Amino acid sequence: RRAPQAGRAALPFLLKRLVNTQFADLADMSISEDIAVEGEITVPVGAPSPDEDFSTLDEPVRETIMRDLKAVGKKFVHVMYPKKSSTLLRDWDLWGPLVLCVSLALMLQGGSADSKEDGGPQFAEVFVIIWFGAVVITLNSKLLGGTISFFQSLCVLGYCVLPLTVAMLVCRLVLLAGSGTVSFIVRLIVVLAMFAWSTLASTAFLADSQPPNRKALVVYPIFLFYFVISWMILTFTPQ
Amino acid sequence: RHPLATFFHLFFRVSAIITYLLCDWFSNSFVACFVTILLLLSFDFWSVKNVTGRLLVGLHWWNQIDEDGKSHWVFEAKKLSTAAASSEAEAQIFWLGLIICPVIWTMFFFSTLFSLKLKWLALVIAGISLQTANLYGYICCKLGGQKSISRTTSFVAAD
Repeated sequence: RRAPQAGRAALPFLLKRLVNTQFADLADMSISEDIAVEGEITVPVGAPSPDEDFSTLDEPVRETIMRDLKAVGKKFVHVMYPKKSSTLLRDWDLWGPLVLCVSLALMLQGGSADSKEDGGPQFAEVFVIIWFGAVVITLNSKLLGGTISFFQSLCVLGYCVLPLTVAMLVCRLVLLAGSGTVSFIVRLIVVLAMFAWSTLASTAFLADSQPPNRKALVVYPIFLFYFVISWMILTFTPQ
Repeated sequence: RHPLATFFHLFFRVSAIITYLLCDWFSNSFVACFVTILLLLSFDFWSVKNVTGRLLVGLHWWNQIDEDGKSHWVFEAKKLSTAAASSEAEAQIFWLGLIICPVIWTMFFFSTLFSLKLKWLALVIAGISLQTANLYGYICCKLGGQKSISRTTSFVAAD
């Protein structure tokens, strides 16, 4: 499914190596390191032909689905134990952010689900805040000269909403038990902890793609983004 | 030759449109309709991008990120053999489905805007983006494939 790299960048390097090893015996021959080689390699992409691979429609589709599900699961695990890992970033997908966004928005709506005025605007609001906020942060980091691509950044920001979704779940459970001062303090601590976790997890992935003197400029919108979400979670009261 | 793929190609898109039009009959809940339509649109995007395009017309597009972090959009077009010429009808269904649905969602966009039912706007915009993305990707594949004479072509555009 993943094609080998187009060889354009690798061509000069390969030729240099080839030349240097082939002619290593000729002691007096010095090869200039500045050989500029232009060329094009179009690597035939090894995708399976339609006739061979999909003779039974179910089997390969199931494989595709399982592979994508496993990739999503791996990313969720990575968010819980954040370490900078570039292989994780390479395979971006937006399924995790979609699931997290929908579950967070579902948990954040207050009224009964059967009425016509059932918190409709709140649901769409959460959606818009999360996606629009993520897009704005990505644009900001790209304008500051970041090397990370648009969808990778959306992917990371979306996945790092996971701790806050967990916080929302905990808050709803705590609110079932009561809504006094104690429950507020418990919720405050949980939300603060998860907010810190989200922010640290996403900056672990995103800040490294920036030059060092601009890290703060990139981190503070992320801080604001998760702060707004945490605020929505903390101030949630069921009706 | 791929009846199941053709069915699914149209199923998710058409269900999303029908659910949007008839959501008041199915359920009183805005949230349920929103989530259902969103899930249908996402499944449609995934299946058209990863499955039905490859099966019905032999085109595939994806995003690939190199080791140095640069992202490329890769468009691949496979020249169909003459034996596959009988799936002309499937190719037509594919392209019709691909083109008509974004147009319908764009009409929904204007109707939502002008009737001021703004809470649906986010959903309609999501629908337009997802379906237009697939349309654009496959058009790029098709155009890239027509430019070259080799059997398998891939056209790489830098992000």
